[in-house]
Amino acid sequence: MRMLLWGWVLTLMVASLGWAQNNSSVVEAHAVMATDAAHANSPLKLAVLAQVAAGYHINDHKPSLDYLIPTELKVEPSNQFTVKDVVYPKGTPKRFAFSDAPLSVYEGTVVVGTLLQAGKDVRAGTYALKAKFAYQACNDHACLPPTSVPLTVTIRVVPRNVPLKPVESDVFQRIKFE
Amino acid sequence: MEEQTPIENTPQASKSPESFPKENPRALQSKLLAGSLLSVVLVVGLYYVNRYWIAPAVRAQPKSDRNHPLAPAFSLTDITGKPLKLSDYQGKVVVLDFWATWCGPCRIEIPNFIELQKRYAAQGFTMIGISIDDSPEPVVDFYKEFRMNYPVVIGNDRLGELYGGLPGLPTTFLIGRDGRIYAKHVGATDPSVFETEIKELLAISPASEAKDFHQAGIVFKEDKVELGDPAAIDSEVPGIDLTKLTADQKEAYEKVLASQQCTCGCKLNLLKCRQMDRHCAISRKLAQDLLEAFLKDKNSTIVTK
Repeated sequence: MRMLLWGWVLTLMVASLGWAQNNSSVVEAHAVMATDAAHANSPLKLAVLAQVAAGYHINDHKPSLDYLIPTELKVEPSNQFTVKDVVYPKGTPKRFAFSDAPLSVYEGTVVVGTLLQAGKDVRAGTYALKAKFAYQACNDHACLPPTSVPLTVTIRVVPRNVPLKPVESDVFQRIKFE
Repeated sequence: MEEQTPIENTPQASKSPESFPKENPRALQSKLLAGSLLSVVLVVGLYYVNRYWIAPAVRAQPKSDRNHPLAPAFSLTDITGKPLKLSDYQGKVVVLDFWATWCGPCRIEIPNFIELQKRYAAQGFTMIGISIDDSPEPVVDFYKEFRMNYPVVIGNDRLGELYGGLPGLPTTFLIGRDGRIYAKHVGATDPSVFETEIKELLAISPASEAKDFHQAGIVFKEDKVELGDPAAIDSEVPGIDLTKLTADQKEAYEKVLASQQCTCGCKLNLLKCRQMDRHCAISRKLAQDLLEAFLKDKNSTIVTK
Protein backbone atom coordinates (compact mmCIF):
# COMPACT_ATOMS: atom_id res chain seq x y z
CA MET A 1 0.00 0.00 0.00
CA ARG A 2 2.83 2.32 0.93
CA MET A 3 4.64 1.42 -2.29
CA LEU A 4 1.52 2.26 -4.30
CA LEU A 5 1.19 5.59 -2.57
CA TRP A 6 4.81 6.53 -3.22
CA GLY A 7 4.55 5.31 -6.78
CA TRP A 8 1.59 7.64 -7.28
CA VAL A 9 3.46 10.52 -5.66
CA LEU A 10 6.51 9.96 -7.87
CA THR A 11 4.36 9.72 -10.98
CA LEU A 12 2.69 13.04 -10.17
CA MET A 13 6.04 14.64 -9.47
CA VAL A 14 7.42 13.53 -12.83
CA ALA A 15 4.23 14.69 -14.55
CA SER A 16 4.57 18.06 -12.91
CA LEU A 17 7.93 18.71 -14.54
CA GLY A 18 6.16 19.86 -17.68
CA TRP A 19 3.70 22.19 -15.97
CA ALA A 20 5.82 25.28 -15.82
CA GLN A 21 7.14 24.88 -19.36
CA ASN A 22 7.22 28.07 -21.40
CA ASN A 23 4.40 28.04 -23.96
CA SER A 24 6.76 28.83 -26.82
CA SER A 25 8.78 25.68 -26.25
CA VAL A 26 5.77 23.33 -26.16
CA VAL A 27 5.35 23.49 -29.93
CA GLU A 28 8.08 24.23 -32.46
CA ALA A 29 7.26 24.52 -36.12
CA HIS A 30 8.88 25.19 -39.46
CA ALA A 31 7.73 25.20 -43.08
CA VAL A 32 9.08 23.39 -46.14
CA MET A 33 8.27 23.54 -49.86
CA ALA A 34 7.62 20.53 -52.07
CA THR A 35 9.92 21.96 -54.77
CA ASP A 36 13.03 24.12 -54.64
CA ALA A 37 11.24 26.94 -56.51
CA ALA A 38 7.88 27.84 -58.10
CA HIS A 39 6.52 28.96 -61.46
CA ALA A 40 4.10 31.81 -61.99
CA ASN A 41 0.51 30.78 -62.62
CA SER A 42 1.15 27.33 -61.14
CA PRO A 43 0.29 25.45 -57.97
CA LEU A 44 2.88 24.92 -55.25
CA LYS A 45 2.77 22.82 -52.15
CA LEU A 46 3.85 23.88 -48.70
CA ALA A 47 4.01 21.80 -45.49
CA VAL A 48 4.26 22.95 -41.91
CA LEU A 49 5.92 20.48 -39.56
CA ALA A 50 5.07 21.06 -35.92
CA GLN A 51 6.61 19.17 -33.04
CA VAL A 52 4.53 18.97 -29.86
CA ALA A 53 6.56 18.46 -26.69
CA ALA A 54 6.19 15.12 -24.96
CA GLY A 55 3.39 15.07 -22.40
CA TYR A 56 1.41 17.74 -24.20
CA HIS A 57 -1.28 17.64 -26.86
CA ILE A 58 -2.97 20.21 -29.07
CA ASN A 59 -6.53 20.01 -30.32
CA ASP A 60 -7.61 18.59 -33.64
CA HIS A 61 -8.43 21.18 -36.29
CA LYS A 62 -12.00 19.96 -35.85
CA PRO A 63 -12.14 19.60 -32.06
CA SER A 64 -14.32 17.02 -30.37
CA LEU A 65 -15.98 19.63 -28.12
CA ASP A 66 -17.18 23.04 -29.22
CA TYR A 67 -15.39 24.89 -26.45
CA LEU A 68 -11.95 23.57 -27.42
CA ILE A 69 -9.67 25.82 -29.44
CA PRO A 70 -8.74 24.22 -32.79
CA THR A 71 -5.28 23.97 -34.28
CA GLU A 72 -5.11 26.19 -37.32
CA LEU A 73 -2.63 27.23 -39.98
CA LYS A 74 -3.24 30.87 -40.87
CA VAL A 75 -1.54 32.11 -44.01
CA GLU A 76 -1.31 35.87 -44.35
CA PRO A 77 -2.80 37.41 -47.50
CA SER A 78 -0.23 37.80 -50.23
CA ASN A 79 -0.21 39.61 -53.57
CA GLN A 80 1.72 36.76 -55.17
CA PHE A 81 0.16 33.60 -53.73
CA THR A 82 -3.38 32.43 -53.00
CA VAL A 83 -4.29 29.65 -50.61
CA LYS A 84 -6.32 26.98 -52.38
CA ASP A 85 -6.48 24.33 -49.68
CA VAL A 86 -5.19 23.49 -46.22
CA VAL A 87 -4.98 19.80 -45.31
CA TYR A 88 -4.93 18.85 -41.65
CA PRO A 89 -3.99 15.42 -40.32
CA LYS A 90 -6.44 13.15 -38.61
CA GLY A 91 -6.30 13.45 -34.82
CA THR A 92 -5.72 10.65 -32.36
CA PRO A 93 -8.57 9.85 -29.95
CA LYS A 94 -7.34 10.08 -26.37
CA ARG A 95 -8.97 9.94 -22.97
CA PHE A 96 -8.40 12.63 -20.35
CA ALA A 97 -9.52 12.99 -16.74
CA PHE A 98 -11.43 16.15 -17.57
CA SER A 99 -13.57 14.61 -20.31
CA ASP A 100 -16.01 11.73 -20.31
CA ALA A 101 -15.45 10.93 -23.97
CA PRO A 102 -12.13 10.61 -25.83
CA LEU A 103 -10.91 13.80 -27.48
CA SER A 104 -9.28 13.99 -30.90
CA VAL A 105 -5.85 15.54 -30.43
CA TYR A 106 -2.47 15.91 -32.09
CA GLU A 107 0.65 14.71 -30.37
CA GLY A 108 4.28 14.42 -31.42
CA THR A 109 4.90 15.46 -35.05
CA VAL A 110 2.02 17.18 -36.79
CA VAL A 111 2.14 17.79 -40.55
CA VAL A 112 -0.22 20.33 -42.14
CA GLY A 113 -0.20 20.76 -45.91
CA THR A 114 -1.10 23.87 -47.91
CA LEU A 115 -1.82 24.09 -51.60
CA LEU A 116 -1.01 27.53 -52.99
CA GLN A 117 -1.44 29.08 -56.40
CA ALA A 118 1.16 31.50 -57.69
CA GLY A 119 -0.38 34.46 -59.51
CA LYS A 120 -0.07 34.59 -63.31
CA ASP A 121 1.75 37.90 -63.22
CA VAL A 122 4.25 37.03 -60.53
CA ARG A 123 7.73 37.99 -61.70
CA ALA A 124 10.80 35.87 -61.09
CA GLY A 125 12.28 36.68 -57.73
CA THR A 126 12.25 35.81 -54.07
CA TYR A 127 9.16 36.38 -51.96
CA ALA A 128 8.41 35.97 -48.26
CA LEU A 129 5.14 34.38 -47.32
CA LYS A 130 4.11 34.75 -43.69
CA ALA A 131 1.95 32.35 -41.74
CA LYS A 132 1.10 31.37 -38.18
CA PHE A 133 0.64 27.93 -36.73
CA ALA A 134 -2.00 28.59 -34.06
CA TYR A 135 -2.70 26.11 -31.29
CA GLN A 136 -3.69 25.66 -27.68
CA ALA A 137 -1.81 23.03 -25.68
CA CYS A 138 -2.65 21.07 -22.55
CA ASN A 139 -1.21 18.18 -20.59
CA ASP A 140 -3.24 15.87 -18.34
CA HIS A 141 -3.71 18.45 -15.59
CA ALA A 142 -3.32 21.97 -16.93
CA CYS A 143 -3.64 24.04 -20.07
CA LEU A 144 -1.54 26.78 -21.61
CA PRO A 145 -3.12 29.84 -23.24
CA PRO A 146 -3.72 29.82 -27.00
CA THR A 147 -0.68 30.98 -28.93
CA SER A 148 0.97 30.65 -32.30
CA VAL A 149 4.33 30.01 -33.93
CA PRO A 150 5.22 32.65 -36.53
CA LEU A 151 6.46 31.25 -39.83
CA THR A 152 8.11 32.89 -42.81
CA VAL A 153 8.53 30.89 -45.98
CA THR A 154 10.92 32.10 -48.64
CA ILE A 155 9.55 31.25 -52.09
CA ARG A 156 11.76 31.58 -55.15
CA VAL A 157 9.83 32.12 -58.38
CA VAL A 158 11.77 31.12 -61.50
CA PRO A 159 11.00 31.36 -65.24
CA ARG A 160 8.95 28.52 -66.70
CA ASN A 161 11.92 27.17 -68.61
CA VAL A 162 13.75 26.47 -65.35
CA PRO A 163 12.85 22.98 -64.09
CA LEU A 164 11.67 22.53 -60.51
CA LYS A 165 13.38 20.00 -58.30
CA PRO A 166 11.29 18.02 -55.80
CA VAL A 167 12.43 18.21 -52.17
CA GLU A 168 11.17 16.76 -48.85
CA SER A 169 9.32 14.00 -50.71
CA ASP A 170 8.86 11.92 -47.57
CA VAL A 171 6.97 14.76 -45.92
CA PHE A 172 4.60 15.40 -48.84
CA GLN A 173 3.85 11.71 -49.29
CA ARG A 174 2.03 11.89 -45.96
CA ILE A 175 -0.31 14.66 -47.09
CA LYS A 176 -3.44 13.83 -49.05
CA PHE A 177 -3.97 16.85 -51.27
CA GLU A 178 -7.19 16.67 -53.29
CA MET B 1 10.44 52.11 95.37
CA GLU B 2 10.83 49.47 92.77
CA GLU B 3 12.47 50.64 89.56
CA GLN B 4 10.25 50.07 86.54
CA THR B 5 11.66 49.17 83.12
CA PRO B 6 10.15 51.28 80.35
CA ILE B 7 7.65 49.24 78.48
CA GLU B 8 9.18 49.90 75.06
CA ASN B 9 12.44 48.33 75.97
CA THR B 10 11.09 45.02 77.12
CA PRO B 11 11.04 42.00 74.73
CA GLN B 12 7.43 41.48 75.57
CA ALA B 13 6.68 44.97 74.55
CA SER B 14 8.15 44.42 71.04
CA LYS B 15 5.94 41.37 70.35
CA SER B 16 2.72 42.75 71.54
CA PRO B 17 0.32 43.90 68.79
CA GLU B 18 -0.81 46.56 71.09
CA SER B 19 2.62 48.12 70.70
CA PHE B 20 1.99 48.94 66.93
CA PRO B 21 0.38 52.24 66.18
CA LYS B 22 -3.28 51.64 65.28
CA GLU B 23 -2.96 53.50 61.89
CA ASN B 24 -0.38 51.13 60.29
CA PRO B 25 -2.63 48.20 59.20
CA ARG B 26 -5.12 50.54 57.66
CA ALA B 27 -2.42 52.53 55.93
CA LEU B 28 -0.90 49.33 54.66
CA GLN B 29 -4.22 48.05 53.45
CA SER B 30 -4.91 51.36 51.77
CA LYS B 31 -1.58 51.26 50.06
CA LEU B 32 -2.10 47.71 48.92
CA LEU B 33 -5.56 48.54 47.65
CA ALA B 34 -4.33 51.62 45.84
CA GLY B 35 -1.47 49.66 44.34
CA SER B 36 -3.82 46.92 43.17
CA LEU B 37 -6.25 49.38 41.67
CA LEU B 38 -3.42 51.18 39.93
CA SER B 39 -2.13 47.89 38.50
CA VAL B 40 -5.55 46.98 37.20
CA VAL B 41 -6.01 50.39 35.64
CA LEU B 42 -2.54 50.13 34.10
CA VAL B 43 -3.18 46.70 32.61
CA VAL B 44 -6.59 47.64 31.28
CA GLY B 45 -5.20 50.86 29.90
CA LEU B 46 -2.37 49.07 28.16
CA TYR B 47 -4.84 46.58 26.70
CA TYR B 48 -6.97 49.28 25.14
CA VAL B 49 -3.98 51.29 23.95
CA ASN B 50 -2.66 48.18 22.21
CA ARG B 51 -6.01 47.20 20.75
CA TYR B 52 -7.08 50.54 19.38
CA TRP B 53 -3.79 52.27 18.71
CA ILE B 54 -0.67 50.12 18.51
CA ALA B 55 -2.10 46.96 16.89
CA PRO B 56 -3.98 48.80 14.11
CA ALA B 57 -0.83 50.80 13.37
CA VAL B 58 1.18 47.60 13.13
CA ARG B 59 -1.45 45.99 10.92
CA ALA B 60 -1.45 49.02 8.64
CA GLN B 61 2.21 48.37 7.92
CA PRO B 62 2.30 44.68 7.14
CA LYS B 63 5.65 43.01 7.27
CA SER B 64 6.89 41.46 4.10
CA ASP B 65 6.79 37.69 4.26
CA ARG B 66 8.18 35.65 1.39
CA ASN B 67 6.22 32.58 2.30
CA HIS B 68 2.87 34.35 2.65
CA PRO B 69 2.97 37.54 0.59
CA LEU B 70 0.05 39.92 0.52
CA ALA B 71 -2.30 39.19 -2.39
CA PRO B 72 -1.94 41.96 -5.01
CA ALA B 73 -4.95 44.23 -5.01
CA PHE B 74 -7.10 44.56 -8.08
CA SER B 75 -10.28 46.28 -9.15
CA LEU B 76 -12.26 44.85 -12.07
CA THR B 77 -15.84 44.53 -13.26
CA ASP B 78 -17.56 41.20 -12.90
CA ILE B 79 -19.54 39.63 -15.73
CA THR B 80 -22.81 41.01 -14.36
CA GLY B 81 -21.38 44.54 -14.64
CA LYS B 82 -20.75 45.09 -10.93
CA PRO B 83 -17.40 46.45 -9.71
CA LEU B 84 -15.29 43.93 -7.83
CA LYS B 85 -12.34 44.84 -5.61
CA LEU B 86 -10.29 42.26 -3.79
CA SER B 87 -10.11 44.67 -0.84
CA ASP B 88 -13.89 44.29 -0.39
CA TYR B 89 -13.20 40.75 0.79
CA GLN B 90 -10.72 41.66 3.52
CA GLY B 91 -11.44 39.47 6.54
CA LYS B 92 -12.73 36.61 4.41
CA VAL B 93 -11.00 33.49 3.17
CA VAL B 94 -10.81 33.74 -0.61
CA VAL B 95 -10.03 31.18 -3.28
CA LEU B 96 -8.90 33.05 -6.38
CA ASP B 97 -9.22 30.83 -9.43
CA PHE B 98 -7.59 31.76 -12.76
CA TRP B 99 -9.41 29.74 -15.42
CA ALA B 100 -10.85 29.78 -18.94
CA THR B 101 -13.88 28.24 -20.65
CA TRP B 102 -11.63 26.51 -23.22
CA CYS B 103 -9.66 24.77 -20.49
CA GLY B 104 -10.91 21.24 -19.75
CA PRO B 105 -9.14 20.83 -16.38
CA CYS B 106 -10.57 24.22 -15.32
CA ARG B 107 -14.12 23.22 -16.22
CA ILE B 108 -14.13 20.07 -14.11
CA GLU B 109 -13.15 22.06 -11.01
CA ILE B 110 -16.06 24.53 -11.27
CA PRO B 111 -18.82 22.27 -9.83
CA ASN B 112 -16.55 21.61 -6.83
CA PHE B 113 -16.03 25.33 -6.33
CA ILE B 114 -19.80 25.87 -6.49
CA GLU B 115 -20.21 23.31 -3.73
CA LEU B 116 -17.48 24.89 -1.58
CA GLN B 117 -19.16 28.28 -1.98
CA LYS B 118 -22.48 26.81 -0.79
CA ARG B 119 -20.87 25.04 2.13
CA TYR B 120 -18.62 27.74 3.55
CA ALA B 121 -19.93 31.15 2.45
CA ALA B 122 -21.75 31.66 5.74
CA GLN B 123 -18.48 31.13 7.60
CA GLY B 124 -16.70 33.94 5.79
CA PHE B 125 -15.49 32.23 2.62
CA THR B 126 -15.82 33.21 -1.01
CA MET B 127 -14.69 31.98 -4.39
CA ILE B 128 -13.64 34.51 -7.01
CA GLY B 129 -13.15 33.33 -10.58
CA ILE B 130 -10.80 35.20 -12.90
CA SER B 131 -11.38 34.16 -16.48
CA ILE B 132 -8.71 34.76 -19.07
CA ASP B 133 -11.07 34.22 -21.99
CA ASP B 134 -10.60 36.82 -24.72
CA SER B 135 -14.20 37.95 -24.47
CA PRO B 136 -16.94 37.79 -21.85
CA GLU B 137 -19.58 36.06 -24.02
CA PRO B 138 -18.46 32.45 -23.55
CA VAL B 139 -17.90 33.16 -19.84
CA VAL B 140 -21.45 34.50 -19.43
CA ASP B 141 -22.85 31.44 -21.24
CA PHE B 142 -20.81 29.13 -19.06
CA TYR B 143 -21.80 31.02 -15.90
CA LYS B 144 -25.47 30.52 -16.71
CA GLU B 145 -25.17 26.92 -17.86
CA PHE B 146 -23.27 25.82 -14.78
CA ARG B 147 -25.28 28.08 -12.43
CA MET B 148 -22.15 29.51 -10.87
CA ASN B 149 -22.81 31.08 -7.48
CA TYR B 150 -19.73 33.23 -7.01
CA PRO B 151 -18.33 36.35 -8.71
CA VAL B 152 -16.40 35.97 -11.95
CA VAL B 153 -14.34 38.70 -13.60
CA ILE B 154 -12.49 38.84 -16.91
CA GLY B 155 -8.79 39.08 -16.08
CA ASN B 156 -5.92 40.46 -18.10
CA ASP B 157 -2.19 39.93 -18.68
CA ARG B 158 -1.24 42.49 -16.07
CA LEU B 159 -3.21 40.75 -13.32
CA GLY B 160 -1.67 37.40 -14.20
CA GLU B 161 1.80 38.93 -14.03
CA LEU B 162 1.07 40.60 -10.69
CA TYR B 163 0.27 37.16 -9.34
CA GLY B 164 3.62 35.88 -10.53
CA GLY B 165 2.60 34.69 -13.99
CA LEU B 166 0.31 31.82 -14.78
CA PRO B 167 2.34 28.68 -15.50
CA GLY B 168 -0.85 26.96 -16.62
CA LEU B 169 -4.58 26.94 -16.10
CA PRO B 170 -6.14 26.52 -13.71
CA THR B 171 -3.90 28.36 -11.24
CA THR B 172 -5.57 28.84 -7.89
CA PHE B 173 -4.55 30.92 -4.89
CA LEU B 174 -5.76 30.52 -1.31
CA ILE B 175 -5.95 33.88 0.49
CA GLY B 176 -6.40 34.07 4.24
CA ARG B 177 -8.49 36.51 6.26
CA ASP B 178 -5.39 38.67 6.66
CA GLY B 179 -5.11 39.13 2.89
CA ARG B 180 -2.03 36.93 2.57
CA ILE B 181 -1.56 34.15 0.03
CA TYR B 182 -1.19 30.81 1.81
CA ALA B 183 -1.25 28.37 -1.07
CA LYS B 184 -0.96 28.18 -4.83
CA HIS B 185 -2.08 25.25 -6.93
CA VAL B 186 -1.31 24.79 -10.62
CA GLY B 187 -3.46 22.38 -12.56
CA ALA B 188 -6.66 20.58 -11.63
CA THR B 189 -6.56 19.83 -7.90
CA ASP B 190 -8.51 17.37 -5.78
CA PRO B 191 -11.40 19.29 -4.11
CA SER B 192 -10.53 17.75 -0.73
CA VAL B 193 -7.22 19.66 -0.86
CA PHE B 194 -9.04 22.97 -1.21
CA GLU B 195 -11.53 22.04 1.49
CA THR B 196 -8.77 21.17 3.95
CA GLU B 197 -7.03 24.48 3.35
CA ILE B 198 -10.24 26.51 3.48
CA LYS B 199 -11.24 24.99 6.79
CA GLU B 200 -7.83 25.66 8.25
CA LEU B 201 -7.85 29.29 7.14
CA LEU B 202 -11.44 29.84 8.32
CA ALA B 203 -10.37 28.75 11.80
CA ILE B 204 -7.83 31.61 11.98
CA SER B 205 -9.12 34.95 13.28
CA PRO B 206 -8.84 37.95 10.95
CA ALA B 207 -6.25 39.64 13.16
CA SER B 208 -3.88 36.70 13.18
CA GLU B 209 -1.51 35.30 10.63
CA ALA B 210 -1.78 31.55 10.05
CA LYS B 211 1.81 30.85 11.03
CA ASP B 212 1.26 27.11 11.25
CA PHE B 213 -0.51 26.77 7.91
CA HIS B 214 0.68 23.96 5.69
CA GLN B 215 -0.39 23.73 2.09
CA ALA B 216 -2.41 20.56 1.57
CA GLY B 217 -1.88 18.09 -1.24
CA ILE B 218 1.38 17.56 -3.02
CA VAL B 219 3.43 20.74 -3.18
CA PHE B 220 5.46 21.24 -6.33
CA LYS B 221 8.17 23.79 -6.92
CA GLU B 222 5.85 25.56 -9.34
CA ASP B 223 3.36 26.08 -6.51
CA LYS B 224 5.73 28.40 -4.64
CA VAL B 225 4.22 31.87 -4.40
CA GLU B 226 6.36 34.46 -6.14
CA LEU B 227 4.59 37.62 -7.14
CA GLY B 228 5.36 39.95 -9.99
CA ASP B 229 7.03 43.32 -9.58
CA PRO B 230 4.50 46.07 -10.39
CA ALA B 231 7.31 48.45 -11.42
CA ALA B 232 8.45 45.96 -14.05
CA ILE B 233 4.94 44.98 -15.12
CA ASP B 234 3.82 48.58 -15.70
CA SER B 235 7.12 49.62 -17.26
CA GLU B 236 7.46 51.19 -20.73
CA VAL B 237 9.53 48.10 -21.49
CA PRO B 238 7.18 45.40 -20.16
CA GLY B 239 8.78 43.11 -17.62
CA ILE B 240 11.76 45.39 -17.01
CA ASP B 241 11.95 47.70 -14.01
CA LEU B 242 13.30 51.05 -15.27
CA THR B 243 12.89 52.98 -12.01
CA LYS B 244 16.66 53.05 -11.38
CA LEU B 245 17.32 54.82 -14.68
CA THR B 246 17.27 58.56 -15.17
CA ALA B 247 15.12 59.94 -17.99
CA ASP B 248 18.18 60.26 -20.25
CA GLN B 249 19.35 56.76 -19.44
CA LYS B 250 15.87 55.40 -20.09
CA GLU B 251 15.85 57.00 -23.52
CA ALA B 252 19.33 55.68 -24.27
CA TYR B 253 18.42 52.22 -23.05
CA GLU B 254 15.30 52.06 -25.22
CA LYS B 255 17.34 53.10 -28.25
CA VAL B 256 19.77 50.27 -27.60
CA LEU B 257 16.87 47.82 -27.32
CA ALA B 258 15.45 49.12 -30.58
CA SER B 259 18.78 48.57 -32.31
CA GLN B 260 19.11 44.91 -31.37
CA GLN B 261 17.08 42.05 -32.78
CA CYS B 262 15.35 39.51 -30.60
CA THR B 263 16.53 35.98 -31.22
CA CYS B 264 13.18 34.32 -30.47
CA GLY B 265 12.30 34.14 -34.16
CA CYS B 266 9.86 37.06 -34.14
CA LYS B 267 12.16 39.16 -36.37
CA LEU B 268 11.42 42.20 -34.23
CA ASN B 269 13.88 44.37 -32.34
CA LEU B 270 14.08 43.83 -28.61
CA LEU B 271 11.94 46.85 -27.74
CA LYS B 272 9.18 45.85 -30.14
CA CYS B 273 9.27 42.24 -29.02
CA ARG B 274 8.87 43.25 -25.39
CA GLN B 275 5.96 45.51 -26.28
CA MET B 276 4.24 43.03 -28.61
CA ASP B 277 4.87 39.85 -26.64
CA ARG B 278 5.43 40.45 -22.96
CA HIS B 279 5.54 36.68 -22.45
CA CYS B 280 8.68 36.26 -24.56
CA ALA B 281 11.27 34.96 -22.13
CA ILE B 282 14.11 35.51 -24.61
CA SER B 283 13.59 39.23 -25.12
CA ARG B 284 12.95 39.67 -21.40
CA LYS B 285 16.29 38.09 -20.53
CA LEU B 286 18.20 40.00 -23.22
CA ALA B 287 16.58 43.27 -22.12
CA GLN B 288 17.35 42.53 -18.46
CA ASP B 289 21.00 41.75 -19.26
CA LEU B 290 21.29 45.06 -21.14
CA LEU B 291 19.71 46.91 -18.23
CA GLU B 292 22.20 45.43 -15.78
CA ALA B 293 25.04 46.49 -18.05
CA PHE B 294 23.55 49.98 -18.13
CA LEU B 295 23.31 50.17 -14.37
CA LYS B 296 26.92 49.05 -13.92
CA ASP B 297 28.16 51.78 -16.23
CA LYS B 298 27.05 54.97 -14.52
CA ASN B 299 28.35 57.12 -17.32
CA SER B 300 26.28 55.37 -19.98
CA THR B 301 26.04 57.29 -23.23
CA ILE B 302 23.82 56.70 -26.21
CA VAL B 303 25.29 54.00 -28.39
CA THR B 304 23.29 52.84 -31.38
CA LYS B 305 24.24 50.82 -34.38
